[in-house]
Amino acid sequence: MTEARRNVRQNHLALAQKILSVAMARGLKSGDHLAEQTFSEACGVSRTPIRSAFKVLEERDILQWRQEEGYFLRLGTADEIASVIRALEDAENSVADRILSDRAERRISDVQSVSALTRRYKVPRASVLNALKILAKDGIVRQLPGRAWAFQPMVDSPAGLEDSFDFRLIMEPQAIIAPEFALDSKRAGLLREQMNSTLSKLDGRLTPAIFRRIDIEFHTLIAECSGNRFLRGTLAAHHRLRKASQKSAAIPDFRLKQAMLEHLEILDSLERNQFQLAADQIIVHLRRSRIRKPQAANRGIPPLGQGSRT
Amino acid sequence: MNRPPEIAFFPEASFGAALNCVGIAQALQRQGANPVFICHAGFTGVFAEYGFKEYHLPDHPGSSAEAIADYWQDFINTHLPHFDLSPLAQLDTYVGPTWRAIVETAIAAEDDLARLLAQIRPDAIVLDNVIMFPAIANAGCPWVRIVSCAETEIPDAAVPPYLSGLAPGEDTGAFDAAYAAATRDVHRQYNAFRKRHGLHALPPGIFLEPSEDLNLLLAPQAVRYERAEPLDPERFVFLEGCVRHENDYELPRFAVEGGPLVYVGFGSLGAVDTDLIKRMLAVFQTIPARFLVNVGGLIEAYDSVPDNVHLASWFPQPSVIEQAALVIHHGGNNTFCEALYHGVPSLVMPYCWDGHDNAQRAEGAGVGRSINRAGWSDASLRAAIVDVLEDASMRRRLAEVARGMQADPGTSRAAKGILDLLD
Repeated sequence: MTEARRNVRQNHLALAQKILSVAMARGLKSGDHLAEQTFSEACGVSRTPIRSAFKVLEERDILQWRQEEGYFLRLGTADEIASVIRALEDAENSVADRILSDRAERRISDVQSVSALTRRYKVPRASVLNALKILAKDGIVRQLPGRAWAFQPMVDSPAGLEDSFDFRLIMEPQAIIAPEFALDSKRAGLLREQMNSTLSKLDGRLTPAIFRRIDIEFHTLIAECSGNRFLRGTLAAHHRLRKASQKSAAIPDFRLKQAMLEHLEILDSLERNQFQLAADQIIVHLRRSRIRKPQAANRGIPPLGQGSRT
Repeated sequence: MNRPPEIAFFPEASFGAALNCVGIAQALQRQGANPVFICHAGFTGVFAEYGFKEYHLPDHPGSSAEAIADYWQDFINTHLPHFDLSPLAQLDTYVGPTWRAIVETAIAAEDDLARLLAQIRPDAIVLDNVIMFPAIANAGCPWVRIVSCAETEIPDAAVPPYLSGLAPGEDTGAFDAAYAAATRDVHRQYNAFRKRHGLHALPPGIFLEPSEDLNLLLAPQAVRYERAEPLDPERFVFLEGCVRHENDYELPRFAVEGGPLVYVGFGSLGAVDTDLIKRMLAVFQTIPARFLVNVGGLIEAYDSVPDNVHLASWFPQPSVIEQAALVIHHGGNNTFCEALYHGVPSLVMPYCWDGHDNAQRAEGAGVGRSINRAGWSDASLRAAIVDVLEDASMRRRLAEVARGMQADPGTSRAAKGILDLLD
């Protein structure tokens, strides 16, 4: 597959995921009709790519095509849809995804050769090289002099997470208060709808994976709306790294909902152009989110924790 | 009463106690009470994440993050070798020094705790600890004791001594004598502290008296001891586990699929022994099962993790155990009860304290096996895991245990007992 065709295919897969997220947020059930126009507006793209993404979903038996009627949802429950979204994520970038997943799981070390990866995944050398190039584009690996490739630090340990929060606490408020912050109101509206629907339609059960997807989308939106081009690029790259390397953290239901409500409050402030307030709110939001459990605790001994710094 | 009853929880600085209390607090909240938590500053956010208000005991000079990290490093260097010793040999090396640390902590916390209680003015206090704080006895409201380590905490002629790891009927003479000797000085220090705050002295070896109002024992029927003198059911309420609500756990993607799911967690203290866990990972690699391993804050110590293993710093344990076919743990009572509650067998590798008692109990009650931390080989660990996974009769017995426990959740029973005190 040529690079261009691969990119088009990946775009369709990414859009297919988005369509399913919207369907899930809107509580669509098996047999419900998916109108092209509705999804075109919700996803902020024209109807042509929506049609292609519908076709991808039809190929996977997720949607059903009926002559002169259009596309209908085959899946019934939110769980089924969530698992399909996950499968689509896998398909999107299979070799790159497997390399990344194995690094995030610490199954492979931080310096790798193409030959070792070729042996591990039993795929042609060209596929591994292509996967490494995809990962390099996101700053996850870089080629060392010679044939080795080195993984960059990831957000995959308590110390890494701590550094990530330190970095975000500096950068995210600045991204908001930098002159000419311009909220993409269409994306913000879609996110707001997803967050509200998720909060109201899950019978009080918001899974960490759903939260994480929305969380990264929300913070990426803020980064990409910044008026400062360097903050924009640096933060967006960091959120890509978070998406790539972080597992779904085990966070209690209460905090997941509280964090989602904080997102909505920040959006409110941004929509009213109250940027300083939004910057303050994002500091509170990040400080609350960064509180980590003690690393070690035992009777009679002060807990070795990370939370007291904030 | 015009406001909802305010219940102040004061769990000791360990995750087992902290999370038991979360389970009871969730049940109290459902019944209209307002649970709050008093905790060490190092536990900041642990209870707030579940939606509970926290009151922090202040840090003292000399307890900077760096100083605590150094303290832990010294603790690990000193005590890691002791975890390989027998319960008897641990009395001088680990138990005695730990009681000293506990007593010193209680003395240091007293004034701040009294101040916090005066500020909160709770309607009842729930203490999940191994030592009494005079501020609680003097707070002017009922207090509830949670016995969450092991039933052996409440002595009886027919129950083996606390921390001994002995089975009922075994000779306790040597252990009793060694325990008394190991704790004599620190116990004298503790009684003097009690006296200064108007509390009566406790008998040798005892650091926490039963509450006059209510005692909640985290000891499910399946692992309970026959007592020579039955406990007064009005004051001593046995709980069938104390399992909190957590979000559903979505399994990670393993590089190899299939096989039963095994959860491995040795508590945050056990996680410091990264060499032992690495040796275990090499054995897990040879077993056709998937392993979720809790490595606490030390995930960066691991590399070349096997394809059938997933490491994480924290798991929502009840939701994970619910999906597991086996739990390998250190004998912490919280984990042990969560396994029983979900009908999952335990393979207990104790390293200290109540872990020895619970390992013996798992084996004695036929709900698990114990394995010596210092004495296993790759082959014996592998055989123990495979044997328990294949033990159909143990699984049937556990299914029955789980049905009984789930029909009478300890969290609801505890919440009812606490609220009844206030009527």
